[in-house]
Amino acid sequence: MTLSHYLALSGVLFAIGLFGVLTRRNVIGILMSIELMLNAANINFVAFNRFLYPGRYEGHLTVIFIITLAAAEVVVGLALVMAIYKNLKSVYVEDYNILKG
Amino acid sequence: MTEQIIFYLLAAVITLAALGVVLLPTLMHSALCLGLCLAGVAGIFASLGSDFIFAAQILVYVGGIAVLILFVVLLAGSASGRITRQINAQWLPALLLCGLFGWAFLKIVAHFSFGLAPQSAPEPTVRALAGLMLGDYAVPFELISIVLLASMTGAVLFGRRKAE
Repeated sequence: MTLSHYLALSGVLFAIGLFGVLTRRNVIGILMSIELMLNAANINFVAFNRFLYPGRYEGHLTVIFIITLAAAEVVVGLALVMAIYKNLKSVYVEDYNILKG
Repeated sequence: MTEQIIFYLLAAVITLAALGVVLLPTLMHSALCLGLCLAGVAGIFASLGSDFIFAAQILVYVGGIAVLILFVVLLAGSASGRITRQINAQWLPALLLCGLFGWAFLKIVAHFSFGLAPQSAPEPTVRALAGLMLGDYAVPFELISIVLLASMTGAVLFGRRKAE
């Protein structure tokens, strides 16, 4: 397996996630698509680290930071979704047109 | 040969599950597909020889984030997913944009011909990662824990009932 294979896989995954972010009406679906895009970036980091810099681990460290930040992002995002859902009774983003809940 | 078979199986699982996340109308099925896709990405990490990331991916993503999203789907979901349209009206420009992006990305990858094979066998990474985390990268590591604490506090703040 060469580096190109992994890069192609991550490109396809990122494109699918981008399509989900652009077209999903459901806000939870948008959050899930963002997770797909972050995972595509993680595959790139690990693959470049493995093939271009064997013996160094900064890429792995970056992936750990990204995973942690994704967890934080999803926790805050879902808490916000629940808070908005309690007020508006809707999970579709076109209903979210006021800042004051 | 075994390596190729495993890689293409994992790639097929990841791609199909990601398409399921994006295209399935019922949110519950999307969340289950997300768990499958994240597990496939963990398999890719394992095939790249990064053992700690593999474990972290399973623990945090499959065991944490996917389950959290499932909970929210159960709490905030409704049965309207099957009846109402789940894709907005701009799907054709979005499809064109994503197709353009994917095509350009694959052209770039092919142009720079990253056709190199791994130069050495994978080694255990945990000891080196711990050295980095507590050595050169100690400050970002501590900053990450502050971010986690802040996000946890924010989630509690948003989630609690209003004191009236």
